[in-house]
Amino acid sequence: MMDELDLLKKDWQRREQEMPRLTFEQIHRMIWKKSSSVVRWIFYISIIEFIAPHLLYLIPSFRSGMNYDVAGSLGIKVPLIILTVLQYAVALYFILQFYKRYREISVLDSAGNLMNRIIRTRKTVKNYVVFCLSMILVFFAVFIGGMVFSQDLMEALQLHPQGEVDPERLKWVVVGIMAVAGVVFTAVMGGIYFLLYGLLTRKLHQNYKDLRRMEA
Amino acid sequence: MTKELEHQFVSELEINQNIVHKVCSLYTDNREAHNDLFQEITIQLWKAYPKFRGDSKFSTWMYRVALNTAITLYRKSKKQPKTQAFDTVIYKVKAEQYDPTEEKQLNLMYSAIRELGDIDKALVFLYLEDKNYTEIADTLGISEVNARVKMSRIKTKLRTILNP
Repeated sequence: MMDELDLLKKDWQRREQEMPRLTFEQIHRMIWKKSSSVVRWIFYISIIEFIAPHLLYLIPSFRSGMNYDVAGSLGIKVPLIILTVLQYAVALYFILQFYKRYREISVLDSAGNLMNRIIRTRKTVKNYVVFCLSMILVFFAVFIGGMVFSQDLMEALQLHPQGEVDPERLKWVVVGIMAVAGVVFTAVMGGIYFLLYGLLTRKLHQNYKDLRRMEA
Repeated sequence: MTKELEHQFVSELEINQNIVHKVCSLYTDNREAHNDLFQEITIQLWKAYPKFRGDSKFSTWMYRVALNTAITLYRKSKKQPKTQAFDTVIYKVKAEQYDPTEEKQLNLMYSAIRELGDIDKALVFLYLEDKNYTEIADTLGISEVNARVKMSRIKTKLRTILNP
């Protein structure tokens, strides 16, 4: 019996003449268009994400809210500053890592090598996401801690409840709201990260598994 | 200098564009996606071109970049209809060579190949392009033995599709 694939091979080579043909001009125009590769997008998104929160300060109402020193009156200024410095340092480190991964990826590698590098990028992304999410939780925890130990929470938050409200009860309500907000916010951010990075690298992961299976 | 390089690159790609078109025809199933992938491969080739030193043939280098783009770097567009438009994908065989049973068999095989994973597709593609196992293994970064084993599995699969 003749090998079916050899039959196919013949046909495949015969088909060569029937492929579309582009002109010099058409190809020339293409090289100036934007590329849409996965790794490039991971790199871009990480930078956008780093910058985006800072754009919030440009909104006036947000800025005035920030100007009032809630942290100071809650007595958590120092830990917050330490945390912020730490966060920026680590975020910068990750951006550098992304850049390194991005540079490392060269289409000239064999597919297996290229895949390994991309998987490394994926791991870096995963670590980054875990770091960002835990940072959000820690920030909320610090705030909640400050609130619980605050002497006069209403004054610190500049809350002036109308009528008779038990301050102790109100305090726990505020703390509870803060805790729920912390968890919800982390979950929402987790969802966004999943959409951004998870979907972007899903196909890659499948191909990587295929290659691995082949090696096994 | 850049202009010169650009001209040189585009003319070489123009001559060898068949390779890219063939990769696109295997990895996409409509004209729009075909053009998309073609463009992405062109951009990747252009980006890598300064590093191409001519120690291999331009076409050999193209195989690698084109396949790597298709299986690792290319983002598939959101709308991906599962059904395939047959006449745009399977280019018609010329009338004088027409043989109904053979045509049917070939079409069956082509659609079976389209169902394969990205990596398997790359293997079949290189095989159809008459590459030997050393070249296939080298391009995909797997061992020669694995390339052979995988290929014989794909052959068996195709055989069962043709002779149920």
